[in-house]
Amino acid sequence: MKKWYLFLVLAFLTALVVACSSDSANENEEDTAGSEDTTETESNDTESEEASGNEEVTLRVAWWGGQERHDRTLQVIEMYEEQNPHITIEAEYSGFDGYFDKLNTQLAAGNAPDVIQFGGNLNDFVARDVILPLDDYVGNEIDTSLHDESMLDSATFDDQLYGVTLGTTAWGLLLNKTAFEEAGVSMPSKEWTWEDFKELTPQLTENLDGTYGTGDFGEDGFGVFLAQTDKFTYLDGEIGFDQEDVKEWFNLWKELRESEGAAIPEVQVSASQTPEQSLIVQRDVAIESIASNQLGAYTGATEDEFELYPYPANSDTSKNGVSLRPSQYFAAYKDTEHPEEAAKFMDFFVNNVEATEILGNDRGAPVNADVRENLIDQASELDEAVYSYIALVSETSDAPFIPNLPGYNENTQLFTETEQIIYYDQKSVDEAAEDYYEELLSNIEKYENEDEE
Amino acid sequence: MKKKSKISKGKRKQYIAAYVFLLPWLIGFLGLVLGPMISSLYLSFTRFDLLNTPEWIGLANFQEMFQDDRWIASAKVTSTFVFIAVPTQLIAALLVAVLLNKKMAGIGFYRTTYYLPSLLGGSVAIAILWKNLFEIDGLVNQVLSFFNIQGQGWISHPDYALGTIIILATWQFGASMVIFLAGLKQIPKELYEAAAVDGGTKPQVFFRVTLPLLSPVIFFNLVIELIKSIQVFTSAFIISEGTGGPINSTLFYTLYLYQKGFTQFEMGYASAMAWILVFVLGVMTLIIFFSSKYWVHYEDGGKL
Repeated sequence: MKKWYLFLVLAFLTALVVACSSDSANENEEDTAGSEDTTETESNDTESEEASGNEEVTLRVAWWGGQERHDRTLQVIEMYEEQNPHITIEAEYSGFDGYFDKLNTQLAAGNAPDVIQFGGNLNDFVARDVILPLDDYVGNEIDTSLHDESMLDSATFDDQLYGVTLGTTAWGLLLNKTAFEEAGVSMPSKEWTWEDFKELTPQLTENLDGTYGTGDFGEDGFGVFLAQTDKFTYLDGEIGFDQEDVKEWFNLWKELRESEGAAIPEVQVSASQTPEQSLIVQRDVAIESIASNQLGAYTGATEDEFELYPYPANSDTSKNGVSLRPSQYFAAYKDTEHPEEAAKFMDFFVNNVEATEILGNDRGAPVNADVRENLIDQASELDEAVYSYIALVSETSDAPFIPNLPGYNENTQLFTETEQIIYYDQKSVDEAAEDYYEELLSNIEKYENEDEE
Repeated sequence: MKKKSKISKGKRKQYIAAYVFLLPWLIGFLGLVLGPMISSLYLSFTRFDLLNTPEWIGLANFQEMFQDDRWIASAKVTSTFVFIAVPTQLIAALLVAVLLNKKMAGIGFYRTTYYLPSLLGGSVAIAILWKNLFEIDGLVNQVLSFFNIQGQGWISHPDYALGTIIILATWQFGASMVIFLAGLKQIPKELYEAAAVDGGTKPQVFFRVTLPLLSPVIFFNLVIELIKSIQVFTSAFIISEGTGGPINSTLFYTLYLYQKGFTQFEMGYASAMAWILVFVLGVMTLIIFFSSKYWVHYEDGGKL
C-alpha cells in the first residue's frame, strides 16, 4: 500500500512539472487552441486566506504604469495596510502593453481583481456589464462631495457612477526647449496657430541633425483638432464628424511630411508609448503630443529641458481645442466579494491627504479640490508646470471632455493602420479617409448592437 | 489454467503501472489539450465576447472570415512565411549539418554555437533584440552606414518587415540541424566508399547517396517545421508590439486570432479561426504524407 501512495504522489508531482514546463514551451500551440483557462490556476488565493481569519480581507488591486507610478502606488498601499491591519492588498501591476489582454482573460475566467484601473475605455467595460455601480457607496464609503463635477460626469453612464477619477489631465504638446535652442529656433507663443506650426517645424528639421520637427499627433490629436471647430468625435451616442474632417486631418499631416516638418514614416512607425523610448526622448523629434500628467515621466527620462504647450489653434476660431479630461479611473469588479472594502480603498486613494501627497500628479491633478490645493501649495517646479498648464487649459479652452468611441481597441488600431496606409502611399488620402470612416461606422454599429442585447 | 491466470494478473499489474506512468501526460492531454479543443469547437459556432454567455450562430463565423480583409491578409502573411521560411530554414540546416559532419578540431564547439539560436529563438528577449537590431537607427543600419549604404527601417516598412521575421526564423535552424546531423551519421560508410571507387563527383555523391538516404529525416523535419511555422506568434507579436503592423504586413494568422479573441472580445470568431488553422494544417500534413512514398526512401523498404 505504501508503495502505491508513493507512486501517486510521484505521479502528481510529475504531472505538475510537466504541466508547467509544457505551458511555456508550447506557447504557440496554446495560442492557436484558444486557451480560455490560463488564469484559473492563479485564482482561489483570496478565498483560502479569508478562511483562516475572521475579518481578514484580501483585495486585489490592478493598474498599469511606469516605474514611478508603481513605486508611489505601492507606497500608498503599504500605508493603507498599516492603517487597516485586517486588509491585505495584492498588487497586480504592469506596463500598459498587455494589461488589458490580461484583464480580459481574468474577466472571462471570473477572477478579475477587486479594484481595477481603467482609462478612457471604461465605457466599453461598463457596457459589458462587468463593473460595479458605485451609487450605493457614494456618501458612505466614498466621499465625492469635493470632486469636480465634470470628472464625476465622465464616469457616469445611464445615471450611475462607475468609477473614481484618479486625476485630471489634458492633451498637450511637449516641446524640447534644448533642441529648439540648438536649432536656433525661438520658442513660439502659447497662442500659436497651425500656420505658425507649419512654418516652424521644417526649420527644426533643417537645423537639427537626425531630429525631425514633430511627431504625428495621432488619434488623440485628431480629437483635439475636431474640437477646434466645435466638432466632437462622439457625444451622446452620436458620431460628430464626417469623412471630410478625416481627410483634412490626414492632408494636414501629409503636408507637414512633405515640408519635412514631420518625421518620416519609418521613424513615426517605430514610435513608442513608453516615455523612455518615445521619439522625443530619443531625440527623433522635437515636438510630441502627450497627456500633461506624463510631463514628469518624460522629463525624468532625459537631460533635455521640456515645456508643455497647448495645441496650435485654428486661426479662424482661435480655439486650441484642448479639454480637461480624466486620466484614469479606479473601478470595482462587479463580482467582487468585498464591495465595501473596495470602495473604502478607492476613497482613501483619492481623498486621503497623505496618500495623495505620495501619489502626486502622476495620474493627473487630483479631482478632490482640497487635496489639489494642498498639493499645489507644496508643488515642486515640475509639478507647478503641470498645474499651470491645467490652469492655462481651463482659461483658454471651452472644449468639453469627449468620451472614447465605443470599441476603443479596434478603432485605435484602425486609425494607426490608416495613418500607415497613407505614409506608405498605399492609398490616396481621400481614399484612405473614406475607408477609415466607413469601417469606423460599422465598428460603432457593431458595439452599439451588442450593448442593446 | 491456474498458471495462465497468474500471468494475466501480472500483466494487469503491468498495465496499471503503465497507466500510472502515463498519468501525467494523460492529465495534461485531457485538461490542457482535449478539453480546451472541444470547448473551442463549440465556441466556434457561437458569438462569445468572453464575458457573457455564448450565443449559437451556426456557421456565421466561418462565413464572415471569407469577407474579412484582415483575415485574408493574415492568411497571406502566414502562407508567405511558411512557403519561404520552411524551405530556407531546412536548406540552411542541411548545409550546416553537412559542414559540421566533418571531423575537425573543436567541432563540438561549432555544433553548440550553431544550435544556440534555436534554444533562444522563440523567446521574447530575442525578439526584442531583433527589433533593436533592425530599427532605423539599429545596429544593422549602423554597420551599413559604415559602408556608406543608407539602410531602411527594416521593421517599420511594410515591404521589409516580414522579411526580417523570416530571417529571424531561418536563423533558428538548430533543431533541424541536429536531426540532420544524426541522420548523416546513420548513412553507411560503405556507400561513400563504393561511390568513391566508381569515381562519383562530390555533387553526384551528395545528390545520389546523401540526399536519398537522408530523405526520411528530411520528411520528418519538413513536417515538424511546417507545423512550427504555421503557428509562429511570439516574434511577430513582440516586433510589431502586438499590432501586426506596419499595415498588417506582419499580421500572422495566430496574431490576428489573438487580437480577435483577447483585444476585440470576439472569442467565437477566434475559435473558428483556430479550427480553420487546424484543418489547413491537417490537410497540408496529409499531402506531405501521401507524397512521401514518391520521394522518401527507407533502407528497409519502409516496412517496420
